[in-house]
Amino acid sequence: MRGYALQSSGINSTQFGRTTAPYLLILPSLFLTFWIIGYPLWDLVNMSTHAVTRFGQLKGFIGLANFAHLIAEPLFSGCLVRTLIWTISVVGGSVILSMPIALILNEKFAGRRIARVIIMLPWAVSLTMTGIVWRWAMDGQSGMVNATLFNLGVIRQPIAWLATAGTAFPVEIAIGILVSIPFSVTVFLGGLASLPNEIYEAARIDGATAWQCWRHLTLPLLRPFINIALVLNVIYVFNSFPLIWVMTQGDPANSTDIFVTWLYKLAFRYGKLDSAAALSLVMFVILLVFTITYAVLAMREESIEVRR
Amino acid sequence: MRKALGILLGTATMAFAIASAEAKTQLRVVVAYYSAATQEIFEGMAKDFSATHPDVDVKIEVVPWDNLEQRLTTDIAGGIAPDIAMIGTRWLVDFVKNDVAEPLDSYLTPEFKARFLENFLGPSTISGKLYGLPVAASARAMYYNKDLLAKAGIKDPPENWDTLVADAKKIKALGNDIYGFALQGKEIETDAYWYYSLWTHGGELIEGTKSGIASPAAVAALSLYRSLIDEGLTEPNPTGYNRQDIERLFKQGRIGMILTGPWLRGQIKTDAPNLNYGIAPIPAGTTKATYGVTDSMMLFKSSQQEKVAWQFLSEAAFSPKWRIEFTTKEGFLPVTKAEAEQPQFTNDPQLKAFTDMLPYAHFAPLIPNWEQIADTTIRALQKVYTGEAKPEAALKEAAGSIDSILQQQ
Repeated sequence: MRGYALQSSGINSTQFGRTTAPYLLILPSLFLTFWIIGYPLWDLVNMSTHAVTRFGQLKGFIGLANFAHLIAEPLFSGCLVRTLIWTISVVGGSVILSMPIALILNEKFAGRRIARVIIMLPWAVSLTMTGIVWRWAMDGQSGMVNATLFNLGVIRQPIAWLATAGTAFPVEIAIGILVSIPFSVTVFLGGLASLPNEIYEAARIDGATAWQCWRHLTLPLLRPFINIALVLNVIYVFNSFPLIWVMTQGDPANSTDIFVTWLYKLAFRYGKLDSAAALSLVMFVILLVFTITYAVLAMREESIEVRR
Repeated sequence: MRKALGILLGTATMAFAIASAEAKTQLRVVVAYYSAATQEIFEGMAKDFSATHPDVDVKIEVVPWDNLEQRLTTDIAGGIAPDIAMIGTRWLVDFVKNDVAEPLDSYLTPEFKARFLENFLGPSTISGKLYGLPVAASARAMYYNKDLLAKAGIKDPPENWDTLVADAKKIKALGNDIYGFALQGKEIETDAYWYYSLWTHGGELIEGTKSGIASPAAVAALSLYRSLIDEGLTEPNPTGYNRQDIERLFKQGRIGMILTGPWLRGQIKTDAPNLNYGIAPIPAGTTKATYGVTDSMMLFKSSQQEKVAWQFLSEAAFSPKWRIEFTTKEGFLPVTKAEAEQPQFTNDPQLKAFTDMLPYAHFAPLIPNWEQIADTTIRALQKVYTGEAKPEAALKEAAGSIDSILQQQ
């Protein structure tokens, strides 16, 4: 009797080792991760609540004054609106275009391998290089785009694409969609490859059309992949710097400035590291709120679907 | 046992050898990229210096201008600033304010100071102390395409803005792809391109403690540019062209007149050797003016070997031999008397056009937050160039923002 009592009271030492050993083993890497991600974040929070000199020396603690000044700046609301337009257009455009592309690439046809490679190419070239090439292609005087359009008879006068925001911003959005498509296509192809074939056979036997197959079978099953593509794309595009910077630097007159290009100017042109740190945190919070909200909504949708 | 001792002795000898090699003083010099010749020139200075100072190892690093300020800022913040650096003289204001630059007065000998042309020491003097030695100087002038002017029946380049407008109209009539006057509307120095007009109309950037860019002279200066765009005398949509773009158009022979600096001569020699061009002073309005820019070499307060660094500057970098080499190869204006007396400078008529303008040179004001002020001005200019705003309203708004920036110090 006593033996049993000893066994059932408290945790056996080897059992204790077995449950805590895994945590102890990953503790070093966990610590390293927290340090690598956490230290810059801590530094940013520090900088955003102090007055900071051009060389990164913290002067005095001023609480949330940096945030107040930042939001009061006339450029803040303009940049916010433009960032939202940029993100929604690029992500929306790329996801909507990637879906048919992924569906096509999922079918077996001659030259499929080459087609897949071509779709991946914009991803393989660095964003800065892409920006530089397109900047020259869009040049008002010597650009290939103008030359081609002129030869096709579409325009009579050369258009200075990057001279004003009305033409420059849509051009930048289009190129942003172009470079975002490879990633979304990859995610969707992965999703399509994971779909079981039986359900399609069953649906075909029941007489479903291609559209019905897609709408009621493929789309719901791809939902987790669409979620991944959307969230990752939003985070990446929101912070995407090279394209806009190389093509117009956010000008003329800040009319193509989004948060991240304005941040660069604040930090490295004007040397206002405190405002720049505050802006980074604002951007971080916006993305965090979006990601959490989206995840919650997505999970709620899934649980509703399951209950059906 | 003997093997272990042998290995121990071997390692100790190696360590000693490495340590004694490192006993040499390391002097780190960061310079800006002007052209492909910059690296060799400074390496030459380093070699000369090491010959007379064998215990010093000079390391030269060439960094492109675009990245230089950022690079130095990061290095200073990280505690690894070099001993000597080349900088845009304007940056001295922030460096001095943050106690990063070493004042040079205690190192200067009267003989060394006398080597320089007087007015170039001015821009790097703050609160009466000298912080930088001028290493490159440029003024701006008007380049004109002699062939286009001849074809349009113009004998001499315009001397004032009214004549320029008339001449540009004649050049425009020459063809569809030919433009009378280049106007820069994009990226860095868009504001400087307008300052030529501002200063020749009698305006000033800072008047007392307030911005001067909303004065009647300034509005007239900007309205002039706007009218040039309206009448099609400039390339279309100037906000799509940065400095390199308009210089490229000039090299292609499609621009009648452009305002820029001495570097274009070197570029034309390699890129468009057959271009028949001339250099004239910037057209006058109510007065003559040009934009003077200097780059300086400065000593860092954090340097551990200031004495050696100063020796490098006075014996090698600023020796007459290397000053002449640098200014000739890079195509700048002489800053020391030794250079100014060289025949290649006194006998060069094109260079004369630049040096003649030096007495009228305006410099960018030495105030902190200058980049932000310049950007505010550029924003107003771009709004006017795209037709989004009228000159007076845009300049008034910009002047208001600049006043609040000025008040912040």
